[in-house]
Amino acid sequence: MFGKGLIKGLAITWKEFRSKKFTVQYPEQQHPKPERFHGRFKLDVDSCIACNLCANACPNNVIKISSEKVEKKKFLTKYIMNIEYCLFCGMCVEACNKGALKFTTDHDLTQYHYDAIPLVLVEREAPKPEPKPEEEASEEKGGKNAKAAAGKKGKNKEETPAASADKSATEEVGAGKAPEKEGQ
Amino acid sequence: MLENLFTNIAGSLRNLLDSAGVPPLWNDVTLLVVKLVAILVFILLNAIWLVYMERKVAGYMQARIGPNRVGPKGLLQTICDIGKLISKEIPINQGADKVLFLLAPVLVFVPPLMIFAAIPFGDGMVALDLNIGLFYVFALASLSTVIFWMGGWGSNNKYSLLGAMRVVAQMVSYELPMILSILGVIMLVGSMNLSEIISAQQNMWFIVTQPVAFLIFFIAAVAECNRTPFDLVEGESEIVNGPYTEYGGMGFAMFFLAEYASIMIISAMATILFLGGWLAPFGMTFIPSWLWFFLKMYVLIFVVMWFRWTYPRIRVDQLMGFGWKVLVPLSLANIFVTGIGMYIYRAIGW
Repeated sequence: MFGKGLIKGLAITWKEFRSKKFTVQYPEQQHPKPERFHGRFKLDVDSCIACNLCANACPNNVIKISSEKVEKKKFLTKYIMNIEYCLFCGMCVEACNKGALKFTTDHDLTQYHYDAIPLVLVEREAPKPEPKPEEEASEEKGGKNAKAAAGKKGKNKEETPAASADKSATEEVGAGKAPEKEGQ
Repeated sequence: MLENLFTNIAGSLRNLLDSAGVPPLWNDVTLLVVKLVAILVFILLNAIWLVYMERKVAGYMQARIGPNRVGPKGLLQTICDIGKLISKEIPINQGADKVLFLLAPVLVFVPPLMIFAAIPFGDGMVALDLNIGLFYVFALASLSTVIFWMGGWGSNNKYSLLGAMRVVAQMVSYELPMILSILGVIMLVGSMNLSEIISAQQNMWFIVTQPVAFLIFFIAAVAECNRTPFDLVEGESEIVNGPYTEYGGMGFAMFFLAEYASIMIISAMATILFLGGWLAPFGMTFIPSWLWFFLKMYVLIFVVMWFRWTYPRIRVDQLMGFGWKVLVPLSLANIFVTGIGMYIYRAIGW
């Protein structure tokens, strides 16, 4: 019969008209993301040993790590990712043998200002070396002395990191990984 | 009380002016102006609402939810859009006929406004009760052809010109079956007064006695206001946007809103001619007559939107072929059959 298709078409759109809608109201509602989603990075600072494996694994030289030597251990002072160059390949996460670097499901990495783009995972001062028992005793005596001691310690501390940083920088330059001493 | 809400308002306004000592002539003029302004506001508000409704219907038919951000349920979306369009520049391209180009979007709202003055919205709710109401309505409806042509010609753009040519061709060829299909109704009523046509449907809507005429009228009317599946005029894949191609800002918005005003007109006319106008079906008179008119009109508007989101656009040759080879002979046959039917009825003596 002529016009059967027309009626059928109308029936289909009518059915669709009354059907459940699939729209997800984005900022308020979101689709659940899978566990392995490649989103913002998360660093477990306490398990990171500043081994630089992630920085070496990165194809785009995104990760900048700086560390200081505190006593016998390397101490992570800065972990900055220039996220604008990151392609979220996950090589760094794979490379991390301590399981410290992880992906989260947060995808909202946009920023208003260019300066705010780099993802700063860690930025901190290295702890001062453990005070010796005698100094502890002197600290108990009076605040002034303690402060002076602290200042002295600070000076001591400053020398070591600079040296270690220089050292690591030269190493990286030698390996062809850090052409200029960026962020040091 | 609700039934006579608007007539009571008009009556009390008349009494108020009388008691204020206004001479009868000025009283009549004031009342007419008030009525026309009310109609103007009614049309513009409806056009704005229909743009929103169209987008909602489109969304719902595509398993989306449509505009829902600006205002409650997205109700202010159209108002925001119009605000944006008003703030935009109206670009006039080189070699355009400035007068025609700028006049067309201004004039495009004139025929709908003039038509609505003669449409009975409810029992006794008609601004101008003309005894040639039907003739007046369709004479003005075909005027909009000229305005589209003005816009298309004034733009100095090949797509605009082609689109305007299509408008003229389409409107002229679909005007014919539309008027011919109405002839059946006019024969039955014996009058062109819209109120009389409605009151003649007291016992039986004309959609029952003239189903073919209703179909022809509705199809031709959809083609008249350039809606899908007959929207070749603005077929974006062939002629960009037809006569509106060069229009931006409020010029475009006027054409856009006028399209919805003409949908209202054809739905209102189909309601008056075939669905009993403001008459309540099955004696359900607890709903006021103007609300009945409104409901029937909106059902038809929804059907027009439903067509739009269901059917693809047809080809130009199919459009012309369908108009001249199917609708015109069918409407002529309908007149013939109606005449024979009337003759038999009279012979039987019903």
